[in-house]
Amino acid sequence: MSEQNRPQTLAESISALMDNQAAELELQRILKATEQDADVKAIWSRYQIAGAVLRGDKTPVLSPSVMSDFSARLSAAIDAEETFTEPTINVEKSKTQQGWFYQLGRVALVASVAGGMVLGVNQFNSTSPDISQIASNVVTAPAPVESTVSLPSGINSPLINTRNVALQTGYETRPQENRRVMFQPLQATTVVSDEEVSRYVNQMIKAHSDNAAMNSGQGVLPYARVIITDEE
Amino acid sequence: MARISLWLPSLVLAVITATQVQISYAQENLSSPPKSLPSVQTLLKKMSQDAAHINYRGSFTYQNQTSIELQSFRVEHWVENGVEHDRFLFLNGPERVIVRDGQPVDCKAMGDELLQGRISLIGKALVDMDDLYQFEIRGQERIAGRLARMLQVIPKDPYRYGYFLSIDEDTGLVLKSWLIDENAHPLERYQFISLDLNPDINQLKAQVLSHQHKAVADVTPCNPKELTKPSGWQVAWIPQGFVFAGQRNLSSGQTMLMYTDGLTTFSIFIEATNAFVPEGVGRRGATLAYMSRLLVKDVVHRISVVGEIPVAAAAKIAQNITGQ
Repeated sequence: MSEQNRPQTLAESISALMDNQAAELELQRILKATEQDADVKAIWSRYQIAGAVLRGDKTPVLSPSVMSDFSARLSAAIDAEETFTEPTINVEKSKTQQGWFYQLGRVALVASVAGGMVLGVNQFNSTSPDISQIASNVVTAPAPVESTVSLPSGINSPLINTRNVALQTGYETRPQENRRVMFQPLQATTVVSDEEVSRYVNQMIKAHSDNAAMNSGQGVLPYARVIITDEE
Repeated sequence: MARISLWLPSLVLAVITATQVQISYAQENLSSPPKSLPSVQTLLKKMSQDAAHINYRGSFTYQNQTSIELQSFRVEHWVENGVEHDRFLFLNGPERVIVRDGQPVDCKAMGDELLQGRISLIGKALVDMDDLYQFEIRGQERIAGRLARMLQVIPKDPYRYGYFLSIDEDTGLVLKSWLIDENAHPLERYQFISLDLNPDINQLKAQVLSHQHKAVADVTPCNPKELTKPSGWQVAWIPQGFVFAGQRNLSSGQTMLMYTDGLTTFSIFIEATNAFVPEGVGRRGATLAYMSRLLVKDVVHRISVVGEIPVAAAAKIAQNITGQ
């Protein structure tokens, strides 16, 4: 990668980061670059401001003093992160984390509110082969998942059209879709029965919900996570 | 042309000035909230305490990240002779109802103690809720025909998720709740669509409910006065702010250890087994199960950490469990 190309590529990475699309490695690269390269730092700041203005943010994120040390604090907080191993962390540290978590959380939450709840839709489509098959048979194929992720008005995206929904109405008679546990084995070679894992995890979620319904301050709402089958 | 070149910078200047005015206005708002706003503490206390004392019948919808399906439920709650009664009806799919009776209305579980900031009475090494989450009151919204106060809850470490809660100003009921992951994606959401605060209790009691499943009341002790530790097992690391809330022996043969930080809960399941133990991460909705095996005195144990917590937290907890 030539020296001239570098800021451009980084600019793309920063853009991706702001859209919550950056990978962990990219984040590290950006942080490193902002330390060494004033241009990159300037790009980061500019994109932040542009993003905040676009969102109509009323938060004090635009204040120059906040901007100038935002990336520094972000790096510091991430450095501090690796040493965060003991349950008894000191108050100092949690205060620095508060800064960037707060800012990130704020930016990201605004984005997520704007993006609506597409996530569920995307995840569903990517994990359930049934639906993509159905979709490919109907007139309108769904938009590629890649592009829908960044759609700001996701809730209105054409991923599910009425026709798809109509085809899915067999759902109520297939409660097993709903109770399926997605399992990622530690070793890829492990052969495990999905059904066995689902049953085991669902039984634990049921018992855990008694704890959640008692100790999370939201009353009995956590019972909505429970799957009850008649075999019990 | 000359006029435009003069006009353009002044417009830019005007926009910048307007933005700055807006910013300083926002800052002012942040530093001195109007008197009418309830404090975060008041709101949290109301949420964890008041709702237990009222009678209601309401419906809500629920959706999570792994299923597009929108599910609906009805909750019924009444207090009689100082005892709470809950009915939790599944309105989609096969008929089912979770029945929970017998919880004393003045029972404060460990989670309530933490939420109400009463931990200083029982613990010394404990932290404040404000050290775990950043709480911000975000104005009012109308849900299920009622006025609710929005509370944004942002975690301060990577070991728990955030929340968007809308709390009924009158009753303290959580009318809307979103669980938000580390990438700011919603993992699940609940939202009430109707709420009746004056249901006919006799009618609720007289209902014939099929497919009843009894839930355990007081699954963790009421009004804990001190912090305890699990017996038989040692959990050397849990995320800051979580405390041990209770222990159960399940009919399945599992030992269950329960933890809460006031808003977030996780449970640890341990059982001895001769069977193959699948190791890995299971997810359904917002709930995650980190499953691993542990050798204790040459006996294989199946260890699972289950909760609405990030995988980093669950993995680390599981790796720090030892037998005694």
